Amino acid sequence: MSFVIHRLLLLIPVAVGVTIIVFFMIHLIPGDPARTILGIHATAPAIAELHREWGLNRPLAAQYWLFLNRLFHGNLGQSLFYQVPARTLIFGRLPVTLWLIIYSVVLAIVISVPLAMVAASRKDGARDQAVRAIPLVGLGMPQFLTGIVLIYLFALRVHAFPVGGYGSGIGGHLRSMFLPSLTVAIGLAPVIIRSLRVSMIEVLGSDYITTARAKGVRGGRLLARHVLRNAVIPAVTVLGINIGFLIGGTLIVENVFAIPGIGQLMIQSIFARDFPVVQGVTLVFGVIVVVVNLLTDVAYTLLDPRVRFGR
Amino acid sequence: MTALTGTGLPVELPRARSGRWYRQPALVAGLMVTGAIVAMAIAAPLLASDNPTAQNLGATLQGPGAHHLLGTDQLGRDTWSRLLYGARVDLRVAFIAVLFPFCIGTFLGSLAGYFGGWVDMVLMRLVDIVVAFPFYVLVIALVFVLGPGERSIYIAIAIIGWVSYARIIRGQILVAKRQEYVLAAQSGGLPTYRIIARHLLPNVISQAIVYALSVDMIQDILAIVTLGYLGLGIPPPTADWGSMIAAGQSFITTRWELSMIPGIAVVITGFGLSLIGDGLADLLRRGES
Amino acid sequence: MAHRTPLRAFTGTAAAGVIALLASACSSGNPSTPGSGPGGSPVHGGNLVIARTADSQSMNNTTVFDNESIWVFEQIMQPLYTVTPNGKGVMPWLATGYTISPSKLSYTFTLRKGVRFSTGKPMTSADVKFSLDQARAASKGWGYIDTAIKSVAAPTPSTVVVNLKYPWAPLLADLSLFANGIVPDNYSGQTATQFYNHPVGTGPFKWDYWTKGQALKLVRNPHYWQPGKPYLNSVTWTDVPDDNTRELQLKGGQAQVDEFPAWSTVSTLKSTPGVAMNLFNSTRTDYLTFNELVKPFNDVHVRRAISLAINRKALVQAVLFGNGAPANSLFPPQVPYYQKATPGFQYDLAAAKQQMAASSVPHGFTTTLLVPSGNSDYVTISQILQSELKPLGITLKIQQLDPNTANTNFQTLHYDLTFSYWTMDIPDPDELVTFGVDPTAGSRSFFTAYNNPTVVSDAKKAEQILTPSARQSLYNQIQDLSAGDAFMAFLYYSPYAYATSSSVHGFYVTPLGNYHLENVWLSK
Repeated sequence: MSFVIHRLLLLIPVAVGVTIIVFFMIHLIPGDPARTILGIHATAPAIAELHREWGLNRPLAAQYWLFLNRLFHGNLGQSLFYQVPARTLIFGRLPVTLWLIIYSVVLAIVISVPLAMVAASRKDGARDQAVRAIPLVGLGMPQFLTGIVLIYLFALRVHAFPVGGYGSGIGGHLRSMFLPSLTVAIGLAPVIIRSLRVSMIEVLGSDYITTARAKGVRGGRLLARHVLRNAVIPAVTVLGINIGFLIGGTLIVENVFAIPGIGQLMIQSIFARDFPVVQGVTLVFGVIVVVVNLLTDVAYTLLDPRVRFGR
Repeated sequence: MTALTGTGLPVELPRARSGRWYRQPALVAGLMVTGAIVAMAIAAPLLASDNPTAQNLGATLQGPGAHHLLGTDQLGRDTWSRLLYGARVDLRVAFIAVLFPFCIGTFLGSLAGYFGGWVDMVLMRLVDIVVAFPFYVLVIALVFVLGPGERSIYIAIAIIGWVSYARIIRGQILVAKRQEYVLAAQSGGLPTYRIIARHLLPNVISQAIVYALSVDMIQDILAIVTLGYLGLGIPPPTADWGSMIAAGQSFITTRWELSMIPGIAVVITGFGLSLIGDGLADLLRRGES
Repeated sequence: MAHRTPLRAFTGTAAAGVIALLASACSSGNPSTPGSGPGGSPVHGGNLVIARTADSQSMNNTTVFDNESIWVFEQIMQPLYTVTPNGKGVMPWLATGYTISPSKLSYTFTLRKGVRFSTGKPMTSADVKFSLDQARAASKGWGYIDTAIKSVAAPTPSTVVVNLKYPWAPLLADLSLFANGIVPDNYSGQTATQFYNHPVGTGPFKWDYWTKGQALKLVRNPHYWQPGKPYLNSVTWTDVPDDNTRELQLKGGQAQVDEFPAWSTVSTLKSTPGVAMNLFNSTRTDYLTFNELVKPFNDVHVRRAISLAINRKALVQAVLFGNGAPANSLFPPQVPYYQKATPGFQYDLAAAKQQMAASSVPHGFTTTLLVPSGNSDYVTISQILQSELKPLGITLKIQQLDPNTANTNFQTLHYDLTFSYWTMDIPDPDELVTFGVDPTAGSRSFFTAYNNPTVVSDAKKAEQILTPSARQSLYNQIQDLSAGDAFMAFLYYSPYAYATSSSVHGFYVTPLGNYHLENVWLSK
């Protein structure tokens, strides 16, 4: 367990670094939130008044200190654009993004597992070669393009799904979020297929399976009961490692499909220079990535004692 | 897509370099596909039927035909010519964009791997910080800070991309530095930079090169195209696949090919590079056994 | 307009030089308003869903400049006068009439009887005085519109007196601005922030909820003063930034109004069954602005040459797909005192070359066009300009910056060339003229630094003369001189495009951009 504690301690400098980068990067972006609010009627006194109101006239270091102080008390500040707490905005929209992430992961697994099983069942066979080609194509697909193609095919040509939005109710979410989640899943599946295929082939070659075979377990039963169970752990690890990719994907996909999640909020807030909201969303993203990475590392270490990170 | 590769996918590549490359069907196919695209980009002035920026407002949004092989866009520009010249821009930018993070990451990664201790500690925390940001969050924010354009793309990708190389090289050096020839060089009193540059790096760099040529290059093309799509990429009227896709999106219900043609070009390029990456990886793996 | 790329809809103030749209216009008592759907008699009930390009920002009518907020709170808070359907005048609204003192410095307004807030409380002169005083005090909002007002008094519950500092021709037009909409005295005891979280007014609809980034809903005000209105039970604005999505929601019945369909789809929508494609006359004018602080744009010949080299008909075709008209004046045709004969430059390459030859840079020069990113129309126009200016020896570089930065650079005059546009807020050219040609105003002549003393003094005179014919001749001269000086290249006039379901009746948008939802009804 000392490993876990070690990892947790390492998180402290990372967390501080993330807040510094978030804070200073957003303030380095040229442009002015006051101009977003005032539009073409922005006059110097009006801009100055808003800056005073928002505390933007203070030195950056002082603003950073205030930001940290507030953060420590769980306060992300007030949205400059909407004039409501950034926390309200972010946590109001977080469920949408979580929906998208979880739905995407489920779809990616549904796509990957059968394909990997088909490929691994006869290594270097025709089906294996075909499955191996999938990641080669999939990895080169820009997500926005996948999204546009899916919209064109399944929403514009065949009116099977709505073109965008979040829908209402569980059924509505499932329907509205299908194409966006599929878009993310198509980007994610190649990675899972690759890793799952390799580990399944490894498991298939192991003594354990040879024994099972000798006992007369064959075909689908062998794959499902014995191989998949052992091969799925590395695949889950790969998923954990790719949480950053997943979140980056939601950012693009939420924009293509007009889904009101925090990725869309983030882009909207960058455009409006709504500093507190951008800081808040980036922090939430950072926390998710760091925590999931940590959990993945811990799980990996517990499963395979040979691995020791940072040594 | 950084975390996809940045956090160290199990791309277990040994360092031996032998085997016959032409016996690798994936590699050969990849080289052919990529080579064809590069050749078309280089020969764009010969192959293009029109000036890629020449407008003809009297002949806008035409379908594919004899005069315009792939039709024309909203400003009456020839899609085929824009596609070719777009390949030039996107491939060039992607190639240059790979160089900087490769050099920075290799340098920092070898420092971290060789010296360990606090150097390693600090550098790896830096890596953790960069990795904590989703790729597009950082790229978009950086392009905002720096203003759109080619220069910003290079800087933004360098700031994020070095992380993967640093991790790969560090991991390799950690293993390699315990090898006998290195220990011998150390006890022989060779200066540190010489040990790293002459003895360690040549033995560990191949994996970074494979990563650069396949995974990272694809990732950069996707990033450039995505930025173009968001209007933060190469400024008009220069043809670039991302802005071509974006411009075509308004006409998706009537002229879907405007977006799809450059889109397919992106996918084929990624496919070619992936094949090369796969082939090289296989080659290295077989060379070892 | 024409929101095509996904990021665009989040641009906040969007284009360099966005002016927030206007106030209320109305078509009260005029059931045969133009707009969607032929008649039949109005039926009550139903929820109208308007799929719009972006979210609102705030409901504070005295400080907010963005249209998506204005069009919502106009349904809640109403002014004393409102814009006529043709956008060129005002008509009584919460006031029924006024008398003017011989000095022309004091207006006494009679308030409409039987007007109640949605809380049921009757509206009195105290509410009006409070509202106007708040609007006047909004220093970082619309307060500048009311600067001619010296004081507001409420001598009796049904009369309000507005005292002026000097005679002021645009007063009624100013009072028709949404910022001068009426709210309850002292915000019914709340703070301004509390009040505007769920505002109360005398309008046809009252507050229900607002889920930011998703939807905003208003419901019928049972105390509304126009008998029988509104017809609808409720109105919901949903935020759908993507053009294709809005169009599909309209066709699929999820929405009944599609705000600003892409220009490229207008002709298809016109022939789509079940859809009414409305193109309402607007006051939107698009300009190419020159920064006169930067050489060689201080040279009138250079500005004229560029203006002459632009083929406006081709722009209208390529950008608006024919749904617009070339511009010839600083003013759009829907503005009072617009002069049809204004000699704004039109395409004439030979004349452009002559102007170039007479200029300080006869062999051309290199310059940069600042373009807000994410706006596909601007990207199209800038590329057309690039090729049109080539014959003059002008090399045009395109610099795309995100909208906020582009706007900052525009307003601080850190640019060479850029785009801007204007839509009217009030049915009087005064606001546009002051904004557009007065170098001492905050806008420094539309951020061009243009300074023609004759134009400036004409503009000041026209504010204080109350005779229409005298104002007309002043505004004619302003239009003529500013066109000849080519301080901006007037590009084109475009309509407001709204696609509605054919079940929507009575939906009409005034040239100033506002709509009166109390007249709208849904057929089964």
